[in-house]
Amino acid sequence: MKTLLNNPHLVLLVRLFIGLLFIVSSLEKIVDPAAFAQSIASYKLLPTWLPVILATVLPWLELLCGFSVLFGAFTHGSSFLLSAMLLVFTVAVIAALVRGLDISCGCFTQDPTAGKIGWMKVLQNTTLIVLTLFLYFSNTESFTLLRYLRESTPLNEQSR
Amino acid sequence: MIRLRHALREAGILLLVAAALGFIYTAATEKGLFARPAPSKTTPRGVAGDPTMISRDEAWALYQTGIAVFVDARHDFDFKLGHIKGAINIPLKGYDERKSALSGVSMDRVIVAYCDGAECNSSIELSVKLMKDGHANVRIFFGGWSEWKAANLPAEQ
Repeated sequence: MKTLLNNPHLVLLVRLFIGLLFIVSSLEKIVDPAAFAQSIASYKLLPTWLPVILATVLPWLELLCGFSVLFGAFTHGSSFLLSAMLLVFTVAVIAALVRGLDISCGCFTQDPTAGKIGWMKVLQNTTLIVLTLFLYFSNTESFTLLRYLRESTPLNEQSR
Repeated sequence: MIRLRHALREAGILLLVAAALGFIYTAATEKGLFARPAPSKTTPRGVAGDPTMISRDEAWALYQTGIAVFVDARHDFDFKLGHIKGAINIPLKGYDERKSALSGVSMDRVIVAYCDGAECNSSIELSVKLMKDGHANVRIFFGGWSEWKAANLPAEQ
């Protein structure tokens, strides 16, 4: 496990996947917060005033975390947030399934015809949680913006 | 432990920036939280703009009069397993291809849209589409198939 967490190529691959996934899925929600608020409300878990606030902030948080993971800056904070968000989403999906709600997920697309939530969604989210936790515990700074900045600045100064 | 503290600090910053961006963006574009109330809709026929929700008893009453067309918004598969007797199946997913099933129905005829039951949204989404297409008297039987079946009302497979 330790070697996996230190493997720069594996970490980079996971970063690219998670980063792009969250950037892409956040865009549609950013453009149409009202539809996202509807999706959140359809889970019937929250007081009525909350979904619209979440719909205002969450998509931007996904976008920021996506970029942060992609570029490797603030990686611990963003992978922590992504794991936490995914965990909450998954609990919401499970709660909806257990109560027999027939709703669409609102996860990656707001298209109501995109398909309903199911146990497949729970499995999918669990995989994503494992990947984001993997990023949280990963120990390599290879291919990150941070590393690039740190290395490029002193080198340039030295060469002068 | 150090990692967690570090992560929480970063997470806090990300959260603040996201909240700021979110509120600024939605305020600037007047979306979501900051959306202006939509101007009240008036349909050409002067009928109220939103489809009405009806109870099982009301749906049953309409059914008995025979003036209403029942439209099932569920997937073909569910429809074939059982549906309200005489209902037309227009799955929400295939609305555009399937809406021709209503081509013989006049625009002011009462249409009752339903789906699986208490927590299904397809009937609402379907009724919105139907109203957009000009059907003036759309009702949503929100209790849907599960309430209908539970009451042993006329059904077929």
